[in-house]
This record gives sequence, C-alpha cells and structure tokens, in this order.
Amino acid sequence: MRKLFLLALLLVVVLVSPAGARVKLAALPRRERIEIQLDHGAFTLVEEERVVPLLKGSNLVDFSWAAAQVDKDSVLFRPVAVRQGEAFRALADGEVEVANVAYPPNENALVFEVLSKEACAAKVRVSYLIRNLQRAFAYRAVADRDETFLSLKSYLVVGNRSGEEFPGARVWAGFGGRVEAGPNDGDDVRILLDRAARVPVKKAYTFDWYAHGPLSAEKPFASKVLMHYVLRNDEKNGLGRFALPAGKARIFLEDGKGGEAFLGEDWGLGTPLDDEMRLFLGEARDVVCTRTIEKNERRPVEGNLFHQEIKVRYEIENFKDKAATLDIVEQLNNLAAEYGARAPGDVEWEVLEGSTPGLRLSTHKGCALPALFVDLAPRPKEGAVEKRVVIFHVLLKNLWN
Amino acid sequence: MRFLPALLVLAAVAAGKSIDLVTLPDRASVQLTIYNSEDLTLVRETREVALKLGRNELQFSWANTLIDPTSVEFRPLDHAGEIELVDTVFPGAKPQHLVWTIDSRYEGMAKVEVSYFTSGITWSMDYTALTDAREESLAFRGYVRVSNGSGEEYENAEVRLIVGRINLVERIAELAQRRGLPAPAPESQLFGELKRDSAKAAFARAEKCEQAAAKDIVKEGLSEYFMFSVSGTETIRHGWSKRMQAVEADGVRFETLYRLREHQYGPRPVRFFLWKNDKAFGLGGSPLPDGRLRVLRRNTDDALSVLAEQVVAYVPIQAPIEINLGPDERVESEMVRNSVRRYDFRFDNHPRRVVGWTEEAKIEDRVRNSRDREIVLELQRVHDGDVEYSSEMETRLFDYRTIETRFTIKPRGETFYPSTVVRRHGASQRQNRVALN
Repeated sequence: MRKLFLLALLLVVVLVSPAGARVKLAALPRRERIEIQLDHGAFTLVEEERVVPLLKGSNLVDFSWAAAQVDKDSVLFRPVAVRQGEAFRALADGEVEVANVAYPPNENALVFEVLSKEACAAKVRVSYLIRNLQRAFAYRAVADRDETFLSLKSYLVVGNRSGEEFPGARVWAGFGGRVEAGPNDGDDVRILLDRAARVPVKKAYTFDWYAHGPLSAEKPFASKVLMHYVLRNDEKNGLGRFALPAGKARIFLEDGKGGEAFLGEDWGLGTPLDDEMRLFLGEARDVVCTRTIEKNERRPVEGNLFHQEIKVRYEIENFKDKAATLDIVEQLNNLAAEYGARAPGDVEWEVLEGSTPGLRLSTHKGCALPALFVDLAPRPKEGAVEKRVVIFHVLLKNLWN
Repeated sequence: MRFLPALLVLAAVAAGKSIDLVTLPDRASVQLTIYNSEDLTLVRETREVALKLGRNELQFSWANTLIDPTSVEFRPLDHAGEIELVDTVFPGAKPQHLVWTIDSRYEGMAKVEVSYFTSGITWSMDYTALTDAREESLAFRGYVRVSNGSGEEYENAEVRLIVGRINLVERIAELAQRRGLPAPAPESQLFGELKRDSAKAAFARAEKCEQAAAKDIVKEGLSEYFMFSVSGTETIRHGWSKRMQAVEADGVRFETLYRLREHQYGPRPVRFFLWKNDKAFGLGGSPLPDGRLRVLRRNTDDALSVLAEQVVAYVPIQAPIEINLGPDERVESEMVRNSVRRYDFRFDNHPRRVVGWTEEAKIEDRVRNSRDREIVLELQRVHDGDVEYSSEMETRLFDYRTIETRFTIKPRGETFYPSTVVRRHGASQRQNRVALN
C-alpha cells in the first residue's frame, strides 16, 4: 500500500483562538507538481506547487511534516498565480501576500499568515531544502571494435533516504532537461540523462617512472605503462552539451560477436566544456618500456653550486598488432633530487645535444614535467619486434647541496 | 535447475495495486567472462520475456549471490527499436531486487539480455616445461584452471577468460554487500539452505560434459587484453575447479645463459633458460598470462627431475621468455682483489686529517664450469661513486654505474676476467658514475 504523504499542507479556515489552540484540518490541497532540484552538489531543493483556496482577508496555512528531513529554516511559501476562469493569471501587486510565518514550538511545522484581497484559488509554490535526497552520476561507454569511437550514456542516480516520497516528481540535475523520477523513500532510481552515439576516442599510453617505480625485482628498469581513453567534451566530438559531472564510468568494448566485453572502470573527473576526460582502464602490458640512466655527470659552477648532466635512455617495444604513441613523463624535480640535489621549487633545465633528433616534447603539464611523445610501429607479422631507443639528454641547472 | 537471479514480469503497473507474478522466464543461455586480475566475472544471460504494449515492469532479483547491483543492465536483443528502458528502481525495502520500467511499442515474446558483475569465480594459469636429458629442447604446456566459489552453479555456460590487468575503482564483493545480505560462508547454515535438490541432476549433466572431447581454447585480442574463449559450454559447480589445456609447444630449442649480478641475484651465477613467445618456438598465438611454471627434466632413465618452480609474469606475443633456474652447483665464481693502492690524499688542516683519497684496485673474477658443455656468462656489476674502470676484455656500460661483459667458459674449464677500478673517496669524489676507459 502506498504511503500517505508525510508532508502536509493544511488550510486552516478559522483563526487560532487566543488560548493558542490551532484549528485542525479543513482542506488538504494536493500537490499539482513537484520538482526536485539537484543542481547543487550539497543541497537538494524541493519545489511543490499546490492550488490553495483562500478567503478574503487573513488565512492561516499550516505546513507540517512528520519524518521527512526538511530544513525548517529553508521553507519558502510563494503565491505565484490566481485562478481566473479555467486558467491561472499572474498576481497583481499586493493581491495575495504572506504577512508572516510562525513557528509552533516542538513541532515540525510552520504557520503562514496569508492575506488575500479577495476570495480566490491561489497557486502557491512551497520550496524547502531536504536532507538525504541525493544525486550521483554514472557513465556507460561502449567502444567500437577498433576503439576509435564510443557511445556514451550518462545516468543520474537519485537516492532517497529523506523520509518523504515524491510520486511523479520531475528532477533536474543542473543541466539538460528535467526527467521524471518519483523515488519512494529508501529507493534509488537510475535514469538515463543523455546519450551520445558516436564520440571519437583516443587511446593514450603513459609511462611515468617516478609514479610507479620498478615493475618487479626481475625487471627493475621497467615500469608500468598505463592506458587511458581520452575524449573531449565539445560539440565537434559529439558532446559539448553540458559539463560532464564526476561519476563512475564503466567502459565496454564490442566483441564483434554481438556482445560486449568489460574493459575497466574509472572515476571520471568533472569535465568542463571543451576539456578532456581521461578514463584510466588498466595496464597496457604489451607495451614495454625500460629506463636506464646512461650518463650522470656533475658540472661544478662555483662553490657548492653545480649543474647535473643526465642522459636518460628509454627502450620501448610495442608487442601489439596496432601502432601506438607512448607518452613518457619525466618528473625532473625527482630526477634532480635523486642524482643531484632537490631544487628550491621547480628545477631549471635545458635539453642537450645527444637527445634523439626530432624528439617531440611538451611541457603542458608544467615546466618540470616534460612529456615525450614516441610513435611506435605495430609488431611485425614476421621477425623481431623493434626495440625503439629514445635518449633524453638534459642539463639540470643551478643545484646545490 | 532454478537459478538464484530471478527475472519476473510484473502484471500490474498502476499505482497502489499489488504486483502479481506472471512468468519466470528461463535462462536461454549464459556467458561468463572471467577476469584473472580481479575477482570479477561478467555474466550475460539471455531470456525470452512476454511484453505488452505500453508500460511493463520487470523485476530482477538475486538471493545470497554476490552481484553488484550498480552493474545490472537490461538490453533488448529483439525489437530493440521498439523497447525502451525508462528507469531502474532499486527498492529500499527489498534488498537484492531491482525493477525496470520498460516502454514497449511491441507486444509479444522478446529476447532480452541481462548482464551483471559477480564475484567468486576466478581463473589462473599454470605451466609445465619438460626438457630433454641434455637440456637442449623442451615441451611446453600451459593449463587454464577455472574455480567457482561464487555460491552459484553455472550449467552449460559459455566461458571466456580475460588476460590483463583492468582497473576497478571498487571491489565487486563490497558493492554487492552494500545493498543486500552479506554473502554466506560456505559452512554456514544459510549456505546449506541454498543447496538445490536438482543439484544431483546437475552433477549427472556435468559428468557427461567431462567425458566429452578436450576443449579448444580460441584466443583473440581485445583492446589491451586477450580473451581465451573455451569452445562449447561448460558446467562448473560451486566449489569445483576445472583445468583445460590452453598452450602447447614441442621441441622448443632454448638458450641457456648464466648471469652474475650480485645486486640482483646474489653472489652466485644464476642459470636462465631463454626462448620467445613466437612462432619460431612453436608459440606466439597469444600472450602467456601470469602463472606458475614448473621446469622438469626427463633424465636418460626416463625419470623426472625438478629443476625449478617460479611465477612467470605476463609475456606478450613475440616477447622473450626468461626462466630463472637459480644457482647451478656446477658453475662457480669468485671475485678476488689482487692488489690495492691508495694515493692523492687530501687533508684537512685543523687538525690535519685525511678527508679524501684515490684508491686503485685490481680485481679478477674467476668462473669455473664443471659442466660438459660450453656455457655463456654475462657479468654485471654496480660500482657506486666516482669510478674509472678498465679491463683488457670487452666491457660496456649497462648504465651510468653498471659495467657489463659477456664471455664463454669451455666445458670443464675456467675463465678469468681482470679489471682495474679506480675510485675517488671522500672530498676527492666529484662524480657519481663509472667512466669506462
């Protein structure tokens, strides 16, 4: 059996007696419309619309609740329209006004005194903040077999532990349209918010020695290569309708037989418009990168001031049957601390001759976090896999102990 | 046999009315995709459900099985354009349940797919390498073993195994237990109550499956992972494991190499068998997943000797395979310091004390081979500090502080590797690297 509404709006037709006793129920206007605003991560605002019959003069409207977790101080009562014939029209100035609101002691209730110039049926909006009615976001991405495009579904999950029910409510997540979701108390409801059929996706492979350290005792110079899917939240890439809120993303791949295989999951960070979303799927164990320090020379400058010349050698093998690009991140502050001295802040550095010619390098993550981009051919059908050698010859400047 | 997850089609949708059960559609097929890096199995079931025009409600429930409720997905396979999932409700009053609200513009039977994550089913790999008596070639076998500890019986399931390390942000078992009952321990009374009478029938069917021919395992790449698909279907009872051969190669000719790396393997030379995961060695059809390897030798009297047991890390296609057999009692080495000389002393003046010096050491590595065949030894040695290094034998730098050389030692013979190490100490030290002269 469905629960009765715990939130009750009572129209009190007789004024409170001087002794303080409140007159009981005369009418129970039903909720015409409920909207749940979940656009703020920390607060949930519920707005209800009801049509309340008012007498000419003063009316007391009692708003009370039993177990619902309403923030009493947040309740707003706003007359917005009055019935005229079959329709409603906007209120004229002073036509219906809230004179004051009283707080009965020891009750989950408020009493609004509403003044009406004429007897009428007024549409009112009651809004309030409620606790434990929360939102979360989730994504489901399915990549095509070639991993060049994926379909992305965005879900809103509404969890209701507020003690109140909201049948037929419309929910707004802060973007996109309003969706119908009437979560009963104790329920979670998952609703599809948005669907993008064909979002281009890139696979990014990353090697960062100082982030993961040696792979194992048997392979002390190799480290993990991580794989990410990278997509861009803009119109050109099939998205760009709203910022993508943070949420758990599960990624699947079409298996070419009508089904899907699960590739991994990650917490997608909030992604503003025109920005990139990176989803970490797991390790790419078919791309093997080892790193050794080929040269480590101190160049004295004056007193205890010195430069440190370091040649880092990467040997990369791609055992995949597809080409790939490996992003090698070299954390220069940690390199300086290990082989020279820790700089007071980001280390100064320059690239020296002896680095691999034509080395593609970027400092988009910061001046002490250069990323080297290395293109790798697929493994050949016959013969050995090429061991691609990349040298990063760098001078770390102005260090001292 | 009744499966624990149940799919019910609910008759009445109107608010306030009792929900009546209409049908309990049987599973038409089930597919298990098992991930060896995490306790994760993706289960896909297909069923036929009867839908009417307009709104339908489907209730999916599971009892005392670890299913991640956030992973349960519904997908129409027939009439996909006419059947739409409106929302999914997880009723608070009924743990281990969810209700799908479906809008259908089609009336009749429709095939649907329900998929979800569960835990308790795992797979692992183990290998055997059997060398001939001369240790020149070996027969290599790899076996995949699927173990079912999920609490659920899987009959006639299509089984796929995923090789690779995926990323999970939460454990499936934790997610499953958040919204429902904790998984019962196998010895608990509750678990005992879950046993089905028709388990006997399942045993009989499983025995028939085991008598069938050995299964093929088809391997294919899937993004960064590899999928091993077991041909046909399998029945895997709760608490049981099944082992199937997945890799086979005979006559693999491997190389034997000795490595002397004190910093990595300790003071004695260590023996390695080396070959590759490619066609030239009868392999190369798929990567080799992580697993335990046992190396045995068939002796001349056909008895077996154990040479080594170790955990093998994932080997990509065409990548080298290296098996560490440990020290060999028939190959010994010794490092002897033949002379030491110190000079270029630097002093502090108040009081006058030595604060820096240079030291020259002449070192000789002696390696003795008691085997009746020639061996190759690779020597790596780390020299920290400000070092100049020289040797009359060919030597290179492995990295800024490690020298490397390689030489052969005749059968029942001995080789000497001489070197000179000049190191600056204390205040005389200017660098931290080896300069090779």
